[in-house]
Amino acid sequence: MPLEFGRSAALSFGVELELMVLNTHDYNLVRGAPDLLARLEKVELGGEVKPEITESMIEINSSVHTRYDELLAELARIRDAIVAAADKLNLAVAGGGTHPFHLWQERRIFPTERFQRVSELYGYLAKQFTVFGQHIHIGVESGDDAVYLTHQLAPYIPHFIALSASSPFSQGEDTSFETSRLHAVSSFPLAGQLPPVGTWADFNTYFDAMQGYGIVASMKDFYWDIRPKPEFGTVEIRICDTPLTVDVAAQLAAYAQTISAELLRNRRATPVEPMYRVYGYNRFQACRFGFEGELVNPFREGRVRVHDDVIDTLRRLEPVAPGLGTQAALAAIAKRVALNANDSLWLRDRYRETKALPDVVRLQAQHWRGGSAPQ
Amino acid sequence: MNLTFLPALPFELSYPLLFGALLVAGMLGGEMARAVRAPRILGYVAVGFAAAPLAAAMNLGPLLEQARVFVDLALGLVLFDLGRRMDLNWMRRDWTLAAAGLAESLLTFMAVFACLVAFDYTAVVAGITASIAMATSPAVVLLIVQDAKAEGQVTERALNLVALNSLFASILTTILLTSAHLETKVEVENALLHPAYLFAGSVFLGWLVASMARGIARMVEKTQDLHFTLIAGMVFGAVGLAVLLKLSVILALLAFGLFTRNDARNFDLLNVNLAPASRPLYVVLFVITGASLPLDSLAQAGLVGAALAAVRVAAKLVGVIAFSSFGGLRIRQSVGLACSLLPMSTLALMLHHQVARQSPVFGAQVGAAFLAMLILMEVIGPIAVQWGLRFAGETETVKEK
Repeated sequence: MPLEFGRSAALSFGVELELMVLNTHDYNLVRGAPDLLARLEKVELGGEVKPEITESMIEINSSVHTRYDELLAELARIRDAIVAAADKLNLAVAGGGTHPFHLWQERRIFPTERFQRVSELYGYLAKQFTVFGQHIHIGVESGDDAVYLTHQLAPYIPHFIALSASSPFSQGEDTSFETSRLHAVSSFPLAGQLPPVGTWADFNTYFDAMQGYGIVASMKDFYWDIRPKPEFGTVEIRICDTPLTVDVAAQLAAYAQTISAELLRNRRATPVEPMYRVYGYNRFQACRFGFEGELVNPFREGRVRVHDDVIDTLRRLEPVAPGLGTQAALAAIAKRVALNANDSLWLRDRYRETKALPDVVRLQAQHWRGGSAPQ
Repeated sequence: MNLTFLPALPFELSYPLLFGALLVAGMLGGEMARAVRAPRILGYVAVGFAAAPLAAAMNLGPLLEQARVFVDLALGLVLFDLGRRMDLNWMRRDWTLAAAGLAESLLTFMAVFACLVAFDYTAVVAGITASIAMATSPAVVLLIVQDAKAEGQVTERALNLVALNSLFASILTTILLTSAHLETKVEVENALLHPAYLFAGSVFLGWLVASMARGIARMVEKTQDLHFTLIAGMVFGAVGLAVLLKLSVILALLAFGLFTRNDARNFDLLNVNLAPASRPLYVVLFVITGASLPLDSLAQAGLVGAALAAVRVAAKLVGVIAFSSFGGLRIRQSVGLACSLLPMSTLALMLHHQVARQSPVFGAQVGAAFLAMLILMEVIGPIAVQWGLRFAGETETVKEK
């Protein structure tokens, strides 16, 4: 049976954020999600807060928006509700792509049927998957647009990696990467990217084949960096680390929305195959070196730094931004890129000051609170 | 032929040998308990029960008394760890936590007091016994939390409530000793000065040691190993100082832990995991506790002991469950939390010794009944904590096929 592509308003958008739940004595991950969620059930939120695969994670879902400022306001509201509930339970909540020093062996799988099944199939990979990402959904009008946008967003993946990077530490060590989170994702057999199909009908042929082999049951089984999400009628960008603040999370969503608008307005006929030839290399460069990563362009000689590529892109987006109301978000991104500043830099600076990862996590949790009063 | 190089007979047993034997026997006892899914602590204590007559037969009585240094050090670590987990800020944010702590302590005091008065004990004796009965054994709870890998609201709240009731118990016992002093006709000044000295002195000692620990921590590299050594050293030192200055080890060490708690301003001392390295001390702690509990008190005053134990259990259940539901805990969690407060062990025994030393009359009067309750709770307590944490869903999930 062909996958039905749900309709959604073009360029509407929303985000999912995975967050860490921490204790407040040594700031390790703690089994706090069930209690936190039970408490939040009684609070009226715009979006939704849900369990994730291990009991030390929760996930925020925003509702569907068209404007950046409304998305940001809603995320801030949800954040404040979570912070208030966590305070009552003596828990802390923080952003960041990895917990800097937790040991994956100590994690526990959330007792729902789907998560238990994933755990049984993937063994230790499931527990190592205690990493925290941001997913951005961009609404498109048709399955064909979804396929087009999924391919055309691929060259921007290094931007999102460098801009969102917030996982320099893993298992108690500085990994030397700007983001170490993506390695946990790459270990899964169905990680990667959309095959070079051109239309939604082509994609359906591919999906039917995969389903026929018994490899996948639904779209959920593809752990791709960018994937069409037919149930929502969106393209989902899954590459970002969860930033340390909701402000950056909303900015990243606005950046994705503006790029998508430009790509849909000025349609490209770029061949897909050469793009994917350099995809893995460019992705690695951004993971390892962030803004200093060097990108290969299959259609041009020489290399370009991620830093310069983001600045070029921001310039190209200038005419599109006012129509969407994303100028403020793009200005904030431009400011950070000029300084080569991202959350990984912030975390490493805190480590240099405090020399203790538990202390870094404490500051990370404080940073997440944003404007709301510290404990 | 000169055979003086051979050891002289009869052999004299030494502390290292005793420590080693108790440790290995205790460990084996613990694993046997685990084989039948009981908490390891029960195994350690059972080894102690078995060792007591053996030690008596071999004339090891005084040696066992001397081995108390291990008990003091182990208890020092336990109390420090507990003080560190106590969070006054949390109690300020969630009033139900402190209220539950106050309620269950007060109810326990009243219930045990009333029960003893009903059995014709004097008010002074009943008051002191009731104040000791408020305390939950921190060592039992901490050890079971570790063994069961328990994590979550119930675990965190249980540790905070244990810290609270241990604190209340030791303060109130100290104050009530005043009245015991009065009965034995000590001068009034001493009767007032002594508790004041114990309380203020112990808290000050805790603060002083915590400040020193922070100061030293700032001078060395921030690694787990170094900070562990530092903390262990400071804990043992504090125990020694408290004994030397005739202060309360319990209060001083709880205060030390509390003052090292990491808050926004002070993050000098790493929150090192004391559990793996202190396990041997804890094993010996429970073996010696078991060996120090005279089982014949069950025969002497088993009935009163059982009555005391029953009202204590009821009071703690009612006190905790009444307030926890206001704090948003589900009923399973409240029941689990209440069960986690049942154990009585070394802390109560130490308080009892302290009282008996200062007021022999008291020891003679209520000793057997108190010890009978203690023995019962020593056995029921660990089972209740393990069951309670599992019932609340906070222990590591057992794979079900």
